[in-house]
Amino acid sequence: MELKVQKYEKISFLGEGQFALVYKARNIENEEIVAVKKIKVGSREEARDGINRTALREIKLLQELSHENVLGLLDVFGHKSNVSLVFEFVDTDLEVIIKDTKIVLTPANIKSYILQTLKGLEYLHINWIMHRDLKPNNLLVNSAGILKVGDFGLAKFFGSPTRINTHQVVTRWYRAPELLFGARHYATGVDIWAVGCILAELLLRVPFLPGDSDLNQLDKIFGVFGTPNEDSWPGVKLLPDYIQFKPTVPIPLQEIFTAAGDDLIELAESMLSLYPLKRCTTTQALKMPYFSNRPPPTIGSKLPLPTNLQKTDEEPSRPSLKRKMLELVENNIPGKKRLQF
Amino acid sequence: MAGDFWKSSHYQQWILDKQDLIRERQVDLAFLSEEEYTKVFIFFANFIQVLGEQHKLRQQVIATATVYFKRFYARNSLKNIDPFLLAPTCIFLSSKVEEFGVISANRLAGSASNLIKNKFSYAYNQEYPYHSKHILECEFYLLENLDCCLIVYQPYRPLLLLIQDIGQEDQLLTLTWRIINDSLRTDVSLLYPPHQIAIGALQIACVILQKELKHWFAELNVDMDKIQEIARAIVNLFELWKSFDEKKEIAGLLDKIPKAKPGGSSR
Repeated sequence: MELKVQKYEKISFLGEGQFALVYKARNIENEEIVAVKKIKVGSREEARDGINRTALREIKLLQELSHENVLGLLDVFGHKSNVSLVFEFVDTDLEVIIKDTKIVLTPANIKSYILQTLKGLEYLHINWIMHRDLKPNNLLVNSAGILKVGDFGLAKFFGSPTRINTHQVVTRWYRAPELLFGARHYATGVDIWAVGCILAELLLRVPFLPGDSDLNQLDKIFGVFGTPNEDSWPGVKLLPDYIQFKPTVPIPLQEIFTAAGDDLIELAESMLSLYPLKRCTTTQALKMPYFSNRPPPTIGSKLPLPTNLQKTDEEPSRPSLKRKMLELVENNIPGKKRLQF
Repeated sequence: MAGDFWKSSHYQQWILDKQDLIRERQVDLAFLSEEEYTKVFIFFANFIQVLGEQHKLRQQVIATATVYFKRFYARNSLKNIDPFLLAPTCIFLSSKVEEFGVISANRLAGSASNLIKNKFSYAYNQEYPYHSKHILECEFYLLENLDCCLIVYQPYRPLLLLIQDIGQEDQLLTLTWRIINDSLRTDVSLLYPPHQIAIGALQIACVILQKELKHWFAELNVDMDKIQEIARAIVNLFELWKSFDEKKEIAGLLDKIPKAKPGGSSR
């Protein structure tokens, strides 16, 4: 059996997550640059389970999806429990952009990132998929300024009222309060909360609510939004891990985001409502005045790129490659998925 | 299941053309007649059903496994991979995809082996040669041959909606549900969208129960020619099934299939 591994040539190591190692690679058949996500084989027992379930979940969902703002799956290869997923290569992510002090994020830039995030997320929610792990690091941005929601390892179908979900999802800083209180019947609101935190982080350029433990996370949240009670959040006391916090008075978001306009504050407040049922949906968010008011969102090609990406043209073979990638992105064609052994 | 069927991989990649299907099948039709081929698939649909029931799987999971099985052989000859290995592998994969929880490959191989020793001893007169490692190896091969398309839309949910529209008809629901189960032994799951299969099965059930729903059918916005094709395919199955003495015939039919090497890497 000839292994497909040979179709991809490793270029460099990109990073390591909880479940996978990610490499930049070249498809030697068509010169396409891709990101190969190699699922870690855990214990012996896990290997006995065959194809890793996290990977399978990601394959299953991504195969059904196609949207400009959702990272596309190109190919899958592997053997037994040793699985690799091949994605379109995306140059950078929002975490890098936020941390790059040389980049100026104008109100129009921020609007563009949030708009693209919400569009990708709306598409997922329409397809009954919760992402459950949104954070700047999972919002990928290519050199054409197109943002793509990525990393579906924790994504899951929702909608079954009886299905119990695990609350151990979403990186803590972006975790909604109902999750921190141990809710098992949460919904798309957890994604909206995360987008609210990301919006705040784009404005502040530092994480908005960087809790160092789950308790401290709640403390930070209530420090800003006030402690919830049965009036502001009906049913909060019934949540499995509910604990009484000292009552605090909410701080108006206007005082935290002093430079932000009213329309932006309105959006942020709606996404960051403590009571999950009062949080807006993606579709409602996209209809809010913020997105139709001036300034218009920056078009992709005008969005800033991290310094290390601006000089990639130095390599002689790059321009054509880059163009190929852009075409791929623009036409949004997932590559042919047929695999051959 | 999630999303929009018309944009799904099921609709876009896995509603096959009848002529293509027949063409792909020519390799196998060199050693089996068309009727014999159908009988082999009746047998393996039974096998998957029983194997699934032993592990207390929901019908949805069993149906998905059966469709995987059919999709695989829509592109591959029966001699490429031994169907006795592919069958438990399909269940292994579908139980994960449908979030049923993992059934250990070990236990699956064990119960397949038991079934062959006991319930299906008339079909296979030697020791079951496969172990969990074969299932694990076969799983990836299956995934690839499915082109990673894992979500299968089944007719059960559309059926529930249709029955709701007709008005609560428990008898009709039960019978149609069973006809849909039976339809897994035909090619309809490869050729038609699930809501059409549900309607086709419903039509047969109405005939059997002598229910007069002509007006209701006439109001449906659906290609009636397709519904007739589906109904005909299922009725043909029933005819063939009646005359099929599985216990007597199946061993002979399976003997006609050139043997695949265990491990399944025959390509």
